[in-house]
Amino acid sequence: MTNSTLLLCLLAVPMLTAVTSVLVRQDSTRYALVVPSSLITMGLALTLIARLLSHGPIRALGDWLYLDDFSAVVLLVVVIVSALAGAYSMAYFRSPEQGHVLRRGELRKYFSLFHLFTFTMVVACVSGNLALLWTAVTATTFASAPLVDFYGSREPLEAAWKFLILAVAGELIALLGFLLLYASGIAALGSAYNFSIPILGAAGAHLSPSLAGLGFMLVLVGFGTKAGLAPMHTWLPDAHSQAPAPVCAMLSGAELNCAMLAIVRVLSLATPSAGGRAGELHAAMLGFGLLSMTIGVVFLISQRNFKRLLAYSSVEQMGLIAAGFGIGAPLAIVGALLQMLTHSLAKTLMFLNAGNLLLRFRTTSIAEVRGVVRVAPATAVLVIVGALAIGGAPPFGLFVSEFSIVRGALGQPNWGSGALIAALLLIGFIALVAPFSRMTFGDGNAQPSETRAELGLPVLVPGFAVLAALLILGVWIPGPLHALLLGASRVVSR
Amino acid sequence: MLAEVILAALILLVTFAFIVTRQLRAAVSAYAVQSWLLGGVAIALFADSGLMELLLFGLLTIAVKGVIVPQILRRRTALGLAGRRETAYYVRFPTALLMGAALTLTGFIAATRIPYTHQLLPESVLGIALAVLLLGLFTTTARRDAILQVAGLLAAENGLLLVGLVLAPDLSLLIEFAIVLDILIAVLVMGFLVARMHQEVASTDTSELTRLRG
Repeated sequence: MTNSTLLLCLLAVPMLTAVTSVLVRQDSTRYALVVPSSLITMGLALTLIARLLSHGPIRALGDWLYLDDFSAVVLLVVVIVSALAGAYSMAYFRSPEQGHVLRRGELRKYFSLFHLFTFTMVVACVSGNLALLWTAVTATTFASAPLVDFYGSREPLEAAWKFLILAVAGELIALLGFLLLYASGIAALGSAYNFSIPILGAAGAHLSPSLAGLGFMLVLVGFGTKAGLAPMHTWLPDAHSQAPAPVCAMLSGAELNCAMLAIVRVLSLATPSAGGRAGELHAAMLGFGLLSMTIGVVFLISQRNFKRLLAYSSVEQMGLIAAGFGIGAPLAIVGALLQMLTHSLAKTLMFLNAGNLLLRFRTTSIAEVRGVVRVAPATAVLVIVGALAIGGAPPFGLFVSEFSIVRGALGQPNWGSGALIAALLLIGFIALVAPFSRMTFGDGNAQPSETRAELGLPVLVPGFAVLAALLILGVWIPGPLHALLLGASRVVSR
Repeated sequence: MLAEVILAALILLVTFAFIVTRQLRAAVSAYAVQSWLLGGVAIALFADSGLMELLLFGLLTIAVKGVIVPQILRRRTALGLAGRRETAYYVRFPTALLMGAALTLTGFIAATRIPYTHQLLPESVLGIALAVLLLGLFTTTARRDAILQVAGLLAAENGLLLVGLVLAPDLSLLIEFAIVLDILIAVLVMGFLVARMHQEVASTDTSELTRLRG
């Protein structure tokens, strides 16, 4: 198959699955579609990435579609998280402990939007035209907002509305940024040129520096809203605490990274022309990153709801990723790229855990969950080991990526930000692991009469799969992934 | 050139309706008029430059945003009592007016700072466009009513399209397609959530939705 065909198939599979999920009558058919669809999507994505590694960036359809090493990293994240969340969704809604009585048509809505959500994120990863990239990132909002409102009561509605309004406002600001970026190329490329990543990348230093720089700043603020960067993050904890657990995994694990992809892409396009002022662009990125980390950590400390706790951890982690790109040292950039992957895996695991705890204890309050280890040992292992992994403890993948970012930052002449990042990561680790260890081992008000009842295997399997992957990434980065990360860091730091 | 500038000035004037109106229906009509005017700017530009994309842009704007979207919004405002309600601000009314004036000024000052290559429209139109964008976003943040918040975002989008006409007329049609797609989906999704809001709190007043904290 040619590359264009492969790319089109990659887009067609989730789209067709979404359409089929709307059309079919039986919920059992909808369930049956989930795993094959995500496996085919993943297979196509991996084939494309393999070709990319051997033959270089893939351009198709007059640069409307484009895949290079950097977008491939995010594509990898999207297909993995979507497959895990899909498999878990099936188990979750079929689980006997599921408290919510599904009404007619709810699963039709859920699965069609779920696949549509995956589709929009895949489009964002493979779009070569920047107008298409903007459209795709914007479309992720519309596919996911109704999913946030899935449980259909007042709080989910509030969360969905806040998400929608803030995200759309941010997207408009980002579009102004993209318009300025286009205008920055007019002097060099003529008034009607193909607004695509390879064309702008080739024009490099000939873009108008002030327009491109201003464009990047607006994209940073605008899509920063969607990427969960402080102080525009206020929708995030609400949306992540109200959506069903697998949707939270998609929001935190995949969607935030798509917005980050767009931001960093524009950064890499605007940097070459900026010359001596390139430092200002990176400083802005670093500033938003450090602010997000600080706010994320401060709110981690005071949380009483474990889903909100995880949401603020996402604010902290996205801040770390932004800071990694902002520092701009090669080691920090590779770290930030790996962090995109490891954080997504770990956050997916933790939101699946949150779903399991919700199934077992029917609450999201940290104080009301005690002694998980006594009533459900396998669930407890996932919870506590997952918390250690996402906190960045060795020997898990996040330790490697966070360590690289910190080392990259400390190697800079201005090592203060590196020290700040290290301190915040340490506080964040304690603030995150402490509540989960209280939930796992604590006595509290545990009922002595409560019998031991493990959750079913289907809801536990995806979690153990992620845990294994995180453990492997902590000790060994496979060759192709290593090549991909290095290639991506070259794209970003061009 | 004069026709475009006059039409653009009228767009700014209409945008102030979002700030002062107390009626949801008036805001929806203001949006419709604003879209017609924007379509007019594009068609006048087409007459000047002969750029075919601009004609398509104008017609698409008038059809979708001047007719279809206002129709959908009118049906939503007809739900319940929303059409007749006094629509409140999160800030006091005089403050809102002052903010509107300040944002307009900000738009014009920002326009003088953007060093763009001149295309078809003068700098004053860029100032108007940025002012419309800011006023739209302000309406969204300062208004309590969900439908007015949506109208504010839609108005901001029109401002953005006007920015596009000034900075990059050749890209305008592509951006227009992106935005039209965006708006149609947005109005559907938001319409769905507005209907849900009626179901939950029997109004579209978002100040009823304040349970999530911390």
